[in-house]
This record gives sequence, structure tokens and C-alpha cells, in this order.
Amino acid sequence: MFKSNRSRRLAADILTYVVLCTLAAFCLGPMVWMFLTSLKPEADIVTSQMQYIPTHITFENYVAIWTQSNFPVLITNSLIVTTVTVAICVVTGTLAAYAFSRLVFRGRNNIMLGYLLIRMFPAVMMIIPLYVMMRTVGLVDSRFGLALAYTSFLLPLFVWMLKGFFDAAPKELESAARIDGSTRLGAMVRIVLPLARNGLVASSVFIAIAAWNEFIFALMLTTGQGSRTWPVGLQLMVGEFQLPWGVLAAGGILSILPVMLLFAVVQRAMVQGLTAGAIKG
Amino acid sequence: MRRVSMTSNSRRHPFSSLGEISETRYWVYLLLLPSLLLLFLVVAYPTIYGFVISVREMRLTRPGLNGWVGMKHYISMMSDRVFWISLKNTAIWVAAAVMIEMTLGFIAAVALNRNLPGTRLFGVLILLPYFLPNVVAGHMWALLLDPRLGVINDILVRLGFLSSYKAWFADPNTALAATILVEAWHGFPFFALLFLAGLKGIPEDLYKAAAVDGAGSFTKFKLITVPMLKTVITAAVILRVISLVNSPDLLLVLTGGGPGNSTQVLSLYAFQTAYRDFNFGYAGALSVVMFFILMVFATIYIRLSRITKE
Amino acid sequence: MHLSKREFLAASAVLALAAGLRSANAATAINYWHHFASQSEMAGLAKIIQLFAAANPDISVTQESIPNSEYMAKVSSAVVAGGRPDTGMVIAERFADLTAMGALVDISEHVNTWQGKANLPDNRWTGMSNEGAIYAVPAYAFVDWMYYRKDYFDEAGISAPPKTFDEFLSVCRKLTDPSKNRYAFGMRGGAGGFKYVIDVMEAFGSPLVKDGQAAIDKPAAIEAITFYADLFRKEKVAPPSTPNDSYRQIMEGFRTGQTAMIWHHTGSLIEISAALKPGEQFATAPMPAGPKAHIARVAYAGNGIFKEDNVEAAWKWISFWGETDAAIALLEATGYFPASTAALKDQRITGNPIYAAATQTLEFGRLPNSFVGAAGWSENVVNPTFQAVLTGQLTPEQAVDRMIEGLEAALR
Repeated sequence: MFKSNRSRRLAADILTYVVLCTLAAFCLGPMVWMFLTSLKPEADIVTSQMQYIPTHITFENYVAIWTQSNFPVLITNSLIVTTVTVAICVVTGTLAAYAFSRLVFRGRNNIMLGYLLIRMFPAVMMIIPLYVMMRTVGLVDSRFGLALAYTSFLLPLFVWMLKGFFDAAPKELESAARIDGSTRLGAMVRIVLPLARNGLVASSVFIAIAAWNEFIFALMLTTGQGSRTWPVGLQLMVGEFQLPWGVLAAGGILSILPVMLLFAVVQRAMVQGLTAGAIKG
Repeated sequence: MRRVSMTSNSRRHPFSSLGEISETRYWVYLLLLPSLLLLFLVVAYPTIYGFVISVREMRLTRPGLNGWVGMKHYISMMSDRVFWISLKNTAIWVAAAVMIEMTLGFIAAVALNRNLPGTRLFGVLILLPYFLPNVVAGHMWALLLDPRLGVINDILVRLGFLSSYKAWFADPNTALAATILVEAWHGFPFFALLFLAGLKGIPEDLYKAAAVDGAGSFTKFKLITVPMLKTVITAAVILRVISLVNSPDLLLVLTGGGPGNSTQVLSLYAFQTAYRDFNFGYAGALSVVMFFILMVFATIYIRLSRITKE
Repeated sequence: MHLSKREFLAASAVLALAAGLRSANAATAINYWHHFASQSEMAGLAKIIQLFAAANPDISVTQESIPNSEYMAKVSSAVVAGGRPDTGMVIAERFADLTAMGALVDISEHVNTWQGKANLPDNRWTGMSNEGAIYAVPAYAFVDWMYYRKDYFDEAGISAPPKTFDEFLSVCRKLTDPSKNRYAFGMRGGAGGFKYVIDVMEAFGSPLVKDGQAAIDKPAAIEAITFYADLFRKEKVAPPSTPNDSYRQIMEGFRTGQTAMIWHHTGSLIEISAALKPGEQFATAPMPAGPKAHIARVAYAGNGIFKEDNVEAAWKWISFWGETDAAIALLEATGYFPASTAALKDQRITGNPIYAAATQTLEFGRLPNSFVGAAGWSENVVNPTFQAVLTGQLTPEQAVDRMIEGLEAALR
């Protein structure tokens, strides 16, 4: 169809950009609208005259969410809970994922299924017994307790995702290292982990986002301001007799900023990890 | 990432005894022990509790009735109209959402993986929806599709597709589709990110070797990309299905199951049974049924895709 | 659970000891769960806490807000799993469920020796009592009424708000003009819409429950559902979005001028006044009367004690809400109608014509239906069934059958 490789490549490039732009518009459209909404006063949002560009730009929604919601405390709590969750998952989950991917042992498939099963019991019904347990060990209303609860459904997610990435990493290098006299541990640390580095980062990002955005557990396992997380604080803006669109939109914008920041940093690392892996390979 | 580089450079010595253990047959248990122990401690009791209350009457508002009832809840579920509707809706909701998300995610990942200039920016933009908490995403889409304030309605009217604003969530024919759209928007970056990471893990050499052998792009895709991604795809689908089946948040915000149960799904039904009717026994039974449905699905799916075999 | 029993005991002993030490040293600390959220509500609450602290320096109150939609989930799991607050907010619709699950402490003795009781007539207590025992102190009330666009009425040459359902229907027909995107009635078909479905059923003469048994009068209920659903189905005087319209949507419909009348209660007055001019653009009127009964709800809301540990301090806090100072503070901030008759005589109520309809309603208004399981039945059965009638999936006859079936199951 195409005359040369070059024109074929050009067509593919154009197609790629078309696809990327369409998807970006699909993703970004609602976000842009949310941003515009966050700059409008309530009277310009709830109106029969649709306003595309805000005529009265205001920052009162941001001020409102900052003053009403105890924002710094909530964000700090969310950060701590997320970090602890990711730390626990990375430390324990990487080992398990490696075992599932590289070692052959009896009952491997069943244990792997077992990890999944744990995720399958609906969170709705786990809340009460979990609360009873946390209370008994004094972890209710604590950020560590909340992180432990998150681990219960995020660790299996982490293990399964990471196993997929380990599987995708070529086994030949590891075998070569073993032949050169490296122990299994050495091969794992020096060969497999660097190779699956981007997968490790991607999986951690997922865990982090999921923990950052989690709502039901955070709501049910915490009461005091001391351990409440950001999504719960945000939901508190929605009252029985009000749904302040502007404030909620401002909250939405504020809540994606830290995640975006993290991701921008991590994405660079992901790319670097890839090229590094390629050089080593 | 930091952890990885640290361990690879400096920690060789303290690990030498561990290195010896890694050669024994206990190694695998040592690897699994921390996560298994942790999960067991956190999850075992709540799960058993869920199973136990499903064969008990546990209605908070009628403490006098509490006691063992055996299979009563399961039997009454069989004749519960709402249960069957929810089951059907759950199947439609999850299947449609996962398929759309996977397709979009795959397209996005392949496009991003071509590493053209500007891809990095597109990467962040495309992943944005996933960063938004469910609660906010739900409210924002409720505003976008609102029958009075919704900008999407306004655009469609201006473009001539609609004659007047449409109440997407009020019509049983469009309500489920509209919620699927919202879910797809919110969830497809999950697949995009996973697939992208998977694609990046495939060594360039494989493609080069294939190219030397004269393989076209389609052949390379079929023989290299898909098989290399198989475990990632399978894992992503299973994990997504589980979290979709189990999380009622989005529907709770958008429709609450309405109009007339046309968007009622099992997780939402269990939630409402537990926390509006305070009928924990029946909600427990619903959860157990969901659990088994998921288990059967996962087992069959894993069998079919044969990822656990080498 | 998987730790040994001894470790558990040790851990809980340490915790108990720590808690004991803390309360011995400091002033009595109690916590308070509520579902206030808006700026005005929070301002009112802050003022009450401030007034209370001035009057009771030995008691410190920690307030904890919980999203309203999750309030009962949170309370019920605290009842099952422990971790109850000392005190908490109790609204009429939730009272029956709360007492049935044993969440509330009987405060009859405290109430009977309380001098503030004189300001709260018997009907205030009815909604907070069960089998002769009192469980909560009423603080404020939500009085049902109708908001209507006065300017639209003037424009259409309608001199007064409708007093009966017949008048209501004919006014509705006059005020609807879909070509201008204007509808007469902002009907609530989404979450919370059950309230008015039940009201209309009673207005047509069908009770819900008598002596703990389902007592829906089928023909009357069918007539009621037909009348009410036909406003949307046949007359089309309610907007097309009705089946999913809940509080937020009906308010936005009214505020943006899409609808001319809505049914709600005094709690939304502040929000509407912020968007439309009282007396000019909108006014209030009592709910129209049905063929068999004139139904409007007066729902008292108050506060109860959730655990016995600090009963004396907790009692001081919840009874403080029933006193005039606190009621006025709340009224000033939120416009919420006070429960106390002393506060009702305040100039801010008597001097404001907007409140006349509410004062009038107090004379004939009924308490909301209160039986165990009412909330679950209303939300999980009445709402979806009525939505199905609106969208044509069910006939009124089928809907009533399902409601009766569901009610019997809820009461069993």
C-alpha cells in the first residue's frame, strides 16, 4: 500500500498523534470543565445560561476548601497512609511475586489463586469485623491501622501485577548469572529486580493511587481529625442540603495535583529504568 | 526504585548468609512468608465472619430474631427479584466496562509506546482520570451529564444531536450505558498504564530479531507483543473485574441503583441491605454469593488463559 | 485473633489504663457525632459549642462530622463493633432504627427533672420516645412546606398558591410550558423521593402501618400513586429528568427557574434565599391538602446519648441544645426552625412573613411515620418502585402490590 518504509512510518506517526489527541481530549475534557467550574462562583454554575468561560473568576472555592476542611492535616494523613501502604506492599509483595514468577513449587497455582481470593470478598462486609480487630489491638483511628487495612486488598493486587512483569522479564540473563556462580538471591537482586524495575514502579504507582483515593475503609475505620484522609474530608463538603459544585471541583483539582506531581517524577524514572535495562541487556 | 539500586550495589555482604539459604528448598517459603502472614492476619477473621453471618439472622433493628438460620438467606435470594436484576446488571456493567477499558487502554499503551516526541506529556494527560477519587469523579460526571447544568447536553444540543437536554440517568434505557461511560473514562488508564509498562518490558532485541526474519508489524504484534503481555493482560482483567464487582462507590453517587433498579448491582444491593435495612445476615449472604461468582470466574478464566502454566 | 489471648488482654489493659488516666486528670471530654456540613451549619454548631463551653467550663466537647449519607452506616457499625460516641445527632426519620438497634440511652429520668422541658410541648417528645421512654432531646424542626415562584404565579395571573390537590393540578397545567423549558412542579423521583410518595398516599387516605402491621389501603394507595405519577407520566408538568431528581436536582431546577413549585421543608430556606429574592421571586405556602387528609410533616431533630460512660456530661450537652440560647444561635446561622416554644416567639420568626407558612403548618402537621425498618423500606422499596412507575416499567397497581409485599417483609 505504501510506497516506502518512510511514508509508512509517517502515516503511523500521524495515526499515533490522532489517537493520542483523541484520547487526551476524552480524558482532559471533563478535567478542564472541572477546573473551569472551580473558578466560578456558585451563581454562575447553577444557572440556566451555560457559561463556558467564567465571567467572574474567583478563588473563593479554593479558599473555602482550605479553611473548611482542615486541608493540611488531611493531606498529611493521606500521605502517611499511602506511604506506609506502599512500603508494606513493596517489601513483602516483591518477594512473593518473585517466588510466583521464578520458582516452581507444590501448590503454587493454588496459593496464587488464594491471594486473589482474598481480594474477592466484598469490602462492604469486611468493615465491621476489621473494625472489631483493629479496636482490640488499639489500631482504630490510627494511620498505621488504616494502611494495614489497605494492604489487605492492595497487596494481592501488587503481587499479581508484579508477577506479570517478572514473567515478562527474560529469564536467560538470570540463568547466565546462576551459571556464573551467583546465588538465587544474588540473581534476584542484581538481575531480575533491575529488569522488572519499571513494572515495580508501575505497580507501586497503582497501589499509591488506590490508597490515596480510597474512601469506604477510611470513612469507617477513622473518626477523629487525627487520622482522617483527604477523600473523606472531601465528601464531608457534601451536606444534606448542599452540593457546592465549585468547592467540590476545587477539591478535585487539589486532590490530583500531588498525584500528578508524583507521577511526573516517576514517569521519568520509568523511562530511565527501561533504557538502563536495555544497556545492561 | 531507590530500594532496588541500593540493594544491587551495597548490600551484598549482609545478604551472604541469606544467599546460602536461597539455595535451599526453604527459600520459597521465606519469600512467601511475610505477605502470607500479613494477609492472613488481616483478612482471615473478617472473611470467616462474613461466611458465618450469612447463615445467621443478624438484623440490627430486630435483635430478638438473631440466631442460626442455616440456608434461609440463600433460599430467599432465589426468589428475590432485586437479586436477579442486580446479577444481570452486574454482568452487563462489568463486562461492558472491562471490554471498553481494555480496548482503550491497549490503544493508548501502543500509541504511547511508540515514544514519539511529546509522548511523555500525553502519558500524564491520559492517566489523569485515574488519579481522581471515585467520589469526585462521580460528582463531576453527574454535573457534566446533568439535565439542567450539564455541559455535555449543551454541546450536543448546539451540535444538533439533541433537541433538548437529556436526563441520561433518569431514563432506564440510557442510565446503565451512561454509568458505563463514566466508569470507562475513570478506569481505562488502569489498563493503559499496565499495558504500557508491560510493553516497555519487552526487549527491543526480540522485535529486531523478528524484523531480520522478515516479520511484518502484524506478525510481530501477534507473535511477540501478545504472548509477552499475556500474563499482564490476564492479571489486569481479573483484578479489574474483581474491583468492579466489589465497589459500589460510583453508582452510589450517580444513580443509587435507580431509576427503578435499572442500575442496581450486587455490591450496591449488599451495601444498601447492610446499611439501610441493617440486615447484615442477608447482606453477608449476598457477599458470599458474589465471592463464589468471582471465584468461579477467576478459576475458569485462569484455566482458559493458562498463565499459571509454563 | 491470631495473637494469643494474653497479648490481647495486655494490650487492652494498657489502653484502658491510659484512657482512665486521661479522664481523671482533665475536664470531662465528650465527643459528638453529627452530619452538619454546610458553612452555615458549621457556624451554628461552633456558636453552640462556644456558648456551651462558657456555661460548662468543666466539659469539653469534640465534634466529629460524618457525611450524612454514611451517618447510619457509621453509627450501626459502632453499635456492632464498638467505638460509640458519647453523643450524637438524631433525626426523626432515623429514630426508630436507632432505638431498635439499641444505639440510644434512655434519658427519661433526666428529662422529667429538667426545667427546660416546659419549653418543649408533648408533641416534640413523641417523635423522640419509644414505649414511654424518652431517648433524645429535640433541638430543631424541619417543617414541610411548598416553595413557589411568585413572579411566575403573577405572570400567569394566579393570585394565590394552591390549597388542595385539585387546585394544585390546575395550577400545574397553567404553569407548564415545555417549549420555554418551564415545568410547574419539581417532583422528587430520585433519592429521598419516597417521602412525598408516602405523603400523597396518606393524603388519599391510606395509612402505612397500624399496630405494627402493614395497613396500606390498596385502592386508596393506587389512586394516590396514579395521581402523583401522572403529574409526570400524563400531565407532564414535571421535568423529564424527574426519575433521577433528588434534593440537589429539584433545588437546582427551582433556582435556575426551570420549575415553579417544589415541596421541601424549612431546611432549604437559606439556600433558596441566596439565589432568589424572598417575597418577590419566591414565596412559601403550606402543602396543598389531599382529598382525604392534609399532610405535611413536622420532623423534630435532636440529640441523644449513645453510651453510658459520661452520662452526666453528655446530658448537659444534649439538653443545652434544647435551650433558648442555643436554639436562637442555630436559627441565626442556619434558619432551622427551633423546637423550643420559647425560641419560636423570637422576633426573627414572628417578624418574618416567609415563616408564616411554617408556623401555620405546625398546627396541623404530622410527625413522620416512625416504625422499625421504615428507612430501609422507604429507600429500598418505595423509591425504586415509584421510579419504575414513572418510567413506565410498572403500573400503579403492581407498584402498590410490591410496596405492600416489601412492607410486610420489613415488619416481619
